[in-house]
Amino acid sequence: MGVASERLPGRKVKPKGMSGAWGSIRSEFNDPEKRTAYWMILPTTLIVLLVAAWPILYAVWLSLQRILPNTTEWVWFSNYSRMFSDPVFYSALSNTFLFTVISVFFEFTLGLAIALALNKSFRGQGLARGIAIIPWAFPTVVSGAMWRLFYQDEVGIFAALASGLGYEGVILANDASVLIGAIVSDVWKTTPFVALLLLAGLQTIPDDVYEAARVDGATKWQQFMRVTLPLLKPAILVALLFRTLDAWRVYDLFWSMSDRQLDSLSTYVFEFVRVSQADFSIGNAAAVFVFVSSIVIAFVFVKVLGVREEA
Amino acid sequence: MSGMNRRDFLKYSGAGILGASVLSSCSRVASGFTGAETVPEGTLVFSHGPDSSGTIPKVIDKFNKENKDGLTALYRQAPADSGQYFDKLRTEFQAGSATTDIISGDVIWAAQFGPNDWIMDLSDRFTDEMRSEFLEPTLETNTFDGKIYGVPWFTDVGMLYYRTDLMEKAGIDAPPKTWDELMGMAREVQEKTGTQYGFLFQGAEYEGGVVNGLEFIYNAGAEVMPPDDPTKIVIDQGDADKGLAMQQRLVVEGVAPEAVATWKELETQDAFIKGNAVFMRSWPFVYGTILGGKETGSELKPEQVGIAPIPTLAEGDESFSGQGGWNFFINAATKKADDCFKFIEYMIQPEIQAEFAVGASFLPPRASLYEDEKLLKDQPVIELAKDLVTRAKPRPRHPFYSDMSLVMANEFNSVIKSDSSPEEAVSTLQGELERFANLGAEVYDL
Repeated sequence: MGVASERLPGRKVKPKGMSGAWGSIRSEFNDPEKRTAYWMILPTTLIVLLVAAWPILYAVWLSLQRILPNTTEWVWFSNYSRMFSDPVFYSALSNTFLFTVISVFFEFTLGLAIALALNKSFRGQGLARGIAIIPWAFPTVVSGAMWRLFYQDEVGIFAALASGLGYEGVILANDASVLIGAIVSDVWKTTPFVALLLLAGLQTIPDDVYEAARVDGATKWQQFMRVTLPLLKPAILVALLFRTLDAWRVYDLFWSMSDRQLDSLSTYVFEFVRVSQADFSIGNAAAVFVFVSSIVIAFVFVKVLGVREEA
Repeated sequence: MSGMNRRDFLKYSGAGILGASVLSSCSRVASGFTGAETVPEGTLVFSHGPDSSGTIPKVIDKFNKENKDGLTALYRQAPADSGQYFDKLRTEFQAGSATTDIISGDVIWAAQFGPNDWIMDLSDRFTDEMRSEFLEPTLETNTFDGKIYGVPWFTDVGMLYYRTDLMEKAGIDAPPKTWDELMGMAREVQEKTGTQYGFLFQGAEYEGGVVNGLEFIYNAGAEVMPPDDPTKIVIDQGDADKGLAMQQRLVVEGVAPEAVATWKELETQDAFIKGNAVFMRSWPFVYGTILGGKETGSELKPEQVGIAPIPTLAEGDESFSGQGGWNFFINAATKKADDCFKFIEYMIQPEIQAEFAVGASFLPPRASLYEDEKLLKDQPVIELAKDLVTRAKPRPRHPFYSDMSLVMANEFNSVIKSDSSPEEAVSTLQGELERFANLGAEVYDL
C-alpha cells in the first residue's frame, strides 16, 4: 500500500481551487487501484442501468406525452389528471386495494396456522407438506378458469351452495360477489405459499429457546407470543411483502376468473396500452402509477416495518 | 427524439410496459404468427384464424394446384380470438414488420386499419361492376371515408331462434315481431311447457355484447353514428334509451335470466340446444350445431327450430341485425399487390364461395348464391338467412372503434345488470363517443 499512502498527501493538496465534488471525483480516478475497481464494476452498472433504470425512466418520459397514431405531443401531467378523473380507474383501484388487504390478511392467518401445524413432527409429515403445496403449483390461469366454473350459475358447486343458502343473485353477474370469489380463489391458491415461507422461518428457531422458556414457566400462549412471533418476524415480513406486492399487481386471476369483467390496476393498464388507440397514453400513466405505488409499498415494508434490519 | 410517434415508439421499445421494453423489441425479429417458417419466393401469405372444418386449407390447395399465373399461397394460422388477432396485426403494422400479404379481417377492421394506411385502398381494383354482385351491407362495412378497403369473404348476421314445437303447443303460430310480443309469447310458452328460460342473448361485457346492445338500439329506430359521417354521434337523438330499457326489462322481468349479463355465444347456445329456452338471439352457426345433432351436443332437431328477424321496439318498424363477417384486406406494405388481388378474385368466385358455404357454413356475401337451387339444398341455413343478410347493419365504423367498443361494452353491460339506467348510459355514451369522434376528426382529418 506504499504507493497509495505516499499519494495521500498529494491528493489532499490537488483539489485546491476546484469545486469539491469535481475534485473528489478526480481524485477517485487518479488512484489506479480505484480506477481498476471502477472499470470492473462498469459492465454490471451499465447492464443494471440498461435493464432496470432505462425502461423505468423511459416509461415515465412517455407518460408525460400524448401519443396518438400519427402525432406526439408533450403534455406534462395531463395523462395523470385524466387518469385520476376516470371513474373506471377508481373502481380498479378499490378492487385492487380490497383484494390485496383482505386476501393477504387471510393468507397470512391461515398460512401461519398451517405452518405451525406442519412444524410439529408427526407420521406422514412429508406427505402432508407435499399435499398442502398443491394449490400453489397450479398455474393461475388454470385455477382462475377452474374457480370460474365453481361459480358459474349452470354448473357451479359454489353457485348451487349459495342459492341453497338463500342467495338469489348470480355470482358472476355482480362485481362485489366476483371480487369475493377472486379473494376466495386467491386465498385457496396462495395460502400454501405463505405457509411454506413461514414454515421455513419456524425451522430456524432453535429448540433450546423454547426449553429455556419452559424452564422459566412460560405457558404455550406466552411461548408463541414472546418467542415464536418475535423470532419469526423476518419470515413474516418477507411473506407479507411478497404477497402484498403480488396481490397489488393482480392481473391473470382477475381476468381468467371473471372473463375480463373485473378490473384491477394491471388490467386497467392493459386495456389502455393494448386495446385503446385513442387513450394509449393514459395506460402509460397508469403503468407508472402501478410501479410507483409498488415501490411505496415495498418502501413501507422495508423502512417502517424493518424487513432489512431483522433479516 | 421529439418527433416520436406511436409507430417509432413501438419500433424501439415494443409494448413499453415497465421492464419488458428491452426484451420486447425482439418481437420485430419474429415473423408472423407461427414464428420462423420460411416462405418460398413468390408465395402469397394469407392469414386467418383456425378453421376446424378444414375448408380453408382445401381451397388453398386447389388454388395452388391450378397455379394460375404461377401463383401459390400459404395459409398462416392466426389466433382464434379475433381481439388477439387484431392486436397482433396492429402491433406488427405499427412496428412495420407485418409479413402477411393478404389478411382476413373482421368487419370493423377496415375503418381501423384503412385510415392508418396499413391496408390498401382497393377502390380501383374492386370495381363497381364487381361490387354490384355483393350484398350492400357487406360493402358498406368495408368502406370508410369514401374508400373501400376490403373485399367481403363471408357475412354473419344476428337472428332470432325460436322453438316451433313449443310455440305450437302453446297455440302460437308465428314468431314475434316486437319485443312486447316476444315477452308475452315467452311467458305463455314457459307457463304451458315449463321451459326454463324465455329468451337468451349475449350480455357479457365484450364485443358480442356490443352487437347485442346495438341491435336493441337499431331496432328502436335509433343510431349511434350516422352511416356517412364518422365525426358525429347521435345516440342521444333517438330512442336509443328506450331500446336499452327494453333489454334491461327483459332481464328485470325474468324473461331472460340474470346470468345473461355474463353469457357469451357458447353459454347461450348450450342452454338453447339442450332445449332449455324458447327464444334465443344468436348467429347462424348455432343452426349448424343443431344440424349436427347428437354429435355436436344438440338435443334439438332442425324441425323444432325456426329463425326470424330480430324483433323491434314498435310494431311495423324495420328490423336490423347486427353484422359480423370476414373480409380480405391487402397489407399496404406488400410488394405483390396485383397477385394478392388475383388471390382474392379466386376466393370470391361463386363456386368457391359455395364451397365455403357448404364446408364451413360461411354465409356468402354474393347475392346470387341465395337463389342457387343446388346450394340451398346443400346448405339449408342459406335459405333461412336469406331474409336476414340484407337487414344487416354495421357497427359504427371508426378508426377509434376499439375505444368506442370498450365504452359501449361497459355501458350496455351495466344497463343489463341494472347498475345504471338506460338514460344515464345513453348520456355517458354520447359524451364519451363524441370525444373519440372529435379526436378521430382531428387526427385523421375527417
